[in-house]
Amino acid sequence: MYQSRNAKLTLGIIVPNFVSLTFIGISKFAVDLLIKIKTDDYTAEGGTTLFVFSVFFVIPLVMGITSAYFWKDLGFKNIRYVTWSLLNTLIAILMSAIFLKEGIICLIIVSPVIFGCIVSGAFIGKVMFRRKNNTLNSSIIGILLVIFSADLFSKHQYTNKVTDTIIINAPINKVWQYVVEYAPITEKENYWLFQVGMPSPIQSTVDGHCVGAGRKCIFSNGYTFDEKMIVYKPNQELTFDITNQPRDPEIMGHIDILRGQFILKDNGNGTTTVTGNSWYKLYVFPVWYFDIWAESITRNVHLRVMEHIKTLSETNV
Amino acid sequence: MFNITIKYFGFLKHIPLLPHLFDSFMKISILFSNKHTLDYIDEIENEVLSWNNTTVHLHKFGGIQFDVNKKEIGHIHSNGILDILFSREIKTQLIKQGKATEHHTIKNSGWITLHIKTDEDKITAIQLLRDSYSRKFTSPSPL
Repeated sequence: MYQSRNAKLTLGIIVPNFVSLTFIGISKFAVDLLIKIKTDDYTAEGGTTLFVFSVFFVIPLVMGITSAYFWKDLGFKNIRYVTWSLLNTLIAILMSAIFLKEGIICLIIVSPVIFGCIVSGAFIGKVMFRRKNNTLNSSIIGILLVIFSADLFSKHQYTNKVTDTIIINAPINKVWQYVVEYAPITEKENYWLFQVGMPSPIQSTVDGHCVGAGRKCIFSNGYTFDEKMIVYKPNQELTFDITNQPRDPEIMGHIDILRGQFILKDNGNGTTTVTGNSWYKLYVFPVWYFDIWAESITRNVHLRVMEHIKTLSETNV
Repeated sequence: MFNITIKYFGFLKHIPLLPHLFDSFMKISILFSNKHTLDYIDEIENEVLSWNNTTVHLHKFGGIQFDVNKKEIGHIHSNGILDILFSREIKTQLIKQGKATEHHTIKNSGWITLHIKTDEDKITAIQLLRDSYSRKFTSPSPL
């Protein structure tokens, strides 16, 4: 009796994780197939494919429902469903780190969604598999399969632009030199994701001062974004395309930074307004969740660089 | 939070699975604000399912619904809101007695609502469900 109880509890953890790996494998296979049909929509730079909505919502829901199937005779209260689902989430996240080579920041970002959906699935499954449920709610599994299939075969393409502005108390020609390249940033990180290990920008270098010249944006972990200037108008505008981005697990297959831009405006009173723009393409869906993070991270990269430019410009006036 | 969501985003309840997801997230949030409510719901569920011919399934707008002979006895949303349909006369009596309030969205009907927050609310909820069960129960013909 006791052994059977433990076996059901364990199966409620092992089987859902196996199911999730199978579904992720299917989604990867389907996306790989779609890449052969239409590369641009599905492949990030370096050939890594996108993660669709189903991976973060439908698969965890199915995991939760599968767990509930094995736990149905254990007489669990709601609170036990939450605690055991939490363990399931931790295992799923660990497996993502091992098999999908996900970085810690990505896992922090997705874990609330995964946990919420696994618990929801467990709650739904709890009622579905109740002995006194005469409807079984089997339509739910059908709906999930339809969503999963429709999601795989629907178009996934999303680009966005983030804009930030700062006023610097220095003349435009002073500001311009630090916009193009700047000495290492030594100020403490004040964005929580940078504090927990996400790389932050520390320096920018250039190999020329003209259109076509190369620029490098160096991050705190040593990774470098290679950039090529496409607009170089001293004291007005610097626009550059990203030609190569680091093969970092936090970035690879999730986001492509496409272009960066600084626009300077002389305010006529000894101050300068600097506008920073970045364009990126997301490969993780749904965008209504992941773009919140992408915007926040891009904004804080902007602000860290622009605050540094402000400090350098105002100190050396 | 629940009322605001129902008021402004209630139209989303027709999207398959969304009400169940919303209900589950309410359940997670209530774990941190009043976890006893979840225990009360568990106890009510066990009690109702011990009655003859009762069944439980997911309510179409989130939560669990109890039926007897395919007629709804009542349903509970995971934030502890119990909804039961009575006649308008009984509804008026129950509200006068302080045992229930107007339904949280459908005012002009026999629907009543009870917010389950305390042990006494749980007992009242079981009484109301038992009352509804008795009114809707008709013995099935023996096989």
